[in-house]
Amino acid sequence: MQRHSEQIVSDNSKLKNSMEWIQRHSYNARICHWVTVISFGYLFWSGLMIFLQFPELYWGKVGFQGHPAVFRLSDWGLSWDQADALGDRRWGRNYHYLFAWVFAFNGIAYLGWNVWQKKFYKKMFPQREEFQLSHIKTDIQNHLQFKAPAGETAKSYNFLQKMSYLIVLFVLFPFMFITGFAQMPAFTAILPELIDIFGGRQTARTLHVVCTLLLVLFLIVHIMEVFIAGARNQIRSMITGKYAISTETNE
Amino acid sequence: MKYTKPKTLSRRQLISRAGALGGILLTGCDSNIYTPPTIRGGLMGVADVLTMASQRFLLSDQALVQEHDINEITKNFPVWNQSNPEDEDYQRLRRGSFAEWRLPVGGLVNQPISLSLEDLKRFPKRTQITSHICEQGWSAIAQWTGAPLIKILEAAGGVKPEARYVVIDAYGGWYEGYDMFDVVHPQTILAYGMNGKDLPQGNGAPVRLRVERHCGYKQLKFIKSIQVVSSMDGFGRGTGGLNSDFDFHWYAGA
Repeated sequence: MQRHSEQIVSDNSKLKNSMEWIQRHSYNARICHWVTVISFGYLFWSGLMIFLQFPELYWGKVGFQGHPAVFRLSDWGLSWDQADALGDRRWGRNYHYLFAWVFAFNGIAYLGWNVWQKKFYKKMFPQREEFQLSHIKTDIQNHLQFKAPAGETAKSYNFLQKMSYLIVLFVLFPFMFITGFAQMPAFTAILPELIDIFGGRQTARTLHVVCTLLLVLFLIVHIMEVFIAGARNQIRSMITGKYAISTETNE
Repeated sequence: MKYTKPKTLSRRQLISRAGALGGILLTGCDSNIYTPPTIRGGLMGVADVLTMASQRFLLSDQALVQEHDINEITKNFPVWNQSNPEDEDYQRLRRGSFAEWRLPVGGLVNQPISLSLEDLKRFPKRTQITSHICEQGWSAIAQWTGAPLIKILEAAGGVKPEARYVVIDAYGGWYEGYDMFDVVHPQTILAYGMNGKDLPQGNGAPVRLRVERHCGYKQLKFIKSIQVVSSMDGFGRGTGGLNSDFDFHWYAGA
């Protein structure tokens, strides 16, 4: 199957016959990826610093110490005072807002660069044949066996990979912003409906944390996959854009 | 679930309000509503301005904040931070049930005044059931009754043309500056009542501020005095309030 043939940069003359180099990541994807790494890191850490100084979660419109909570860090072995001492919301709030802006501009730049490009959809969105049950089954099996893609299949993202990237980009990232806005006092005047959608700001706050955990889960799996597929090659491709494909193991 | 649909103040109402003060309270057409009194250095200052300017733009119709139903009022509203300032004057006033409490309204007003609690209660009152949203993460709902801050400035003869901020001092050492955009908002009140009773000690007796589009730390308790100024220079570190002196955001719409 001739997939992404336009992206293939044959450089075989200088390399062993078994290797083929492809241009995997565009210039903009690489910049946006690393800006995301930095800003997500800061957002996560500053968010944690804020959370530790109020380490309880509630459901509904109101929540405070003594109100029925859906999560209490003290139930998990860290007392309120211990958590408070670890946190720093003065630092946390300043950096949370700063990097929320970095994150937002980065996201806008990424979409601006890519939505009008056909190859973005080809790269990121599953094609029709990928929705076939048998295809998905093979994909899941490969993942469960920690089988790294090789040859022709390594040239493009697989179904599960595409779906998880799309969910992170278009569901979880926007959800972080929406649940963030719903916690802001200004939004009680700007768009109170946004708070009502969640049934209250405390629910929005709890979902903000749940969504963070989902993003961290994605990050763990993402890093694991990088190692399974070959960390050196993967990380190099996100820096230089060039990705080595071993053609010998072609299926 | 029921709440009063927020009503939007028309531009005409706003202009007539401003007119009552001699056309000097700037409401939505002035560029200085988009920036804090002092812009911090570096990227932090850029983020501050982006946040404040974008939110102020979205708030420029001066819409009211969401008001809640009476049965949504929180029963054990938390008492946070200071609950009884260790201030000699405050303690003396408290022992006298605040009968001796006076609120001086001065600075760049045309006619400085001093109001007793009884005077304050004679102003047209406003009652609102709103969410108190603490930057730490907690929130609770209460009913607040008080006098709109703008009415008090009107009673002081209106403000002078160079007026830009209202500085409120509190017993216990807190102070905070508010720009005219927040001062003219109809839900910005000096609250002396909470949930139908006198404002309790822990929640800021005798009078606290409600400035509803901001986090809890702008809702100053134990109010001592009001002055209208043209600049926040000379107050604390000059950042516009004690919270921002401590490096919290001056604009606390979040």
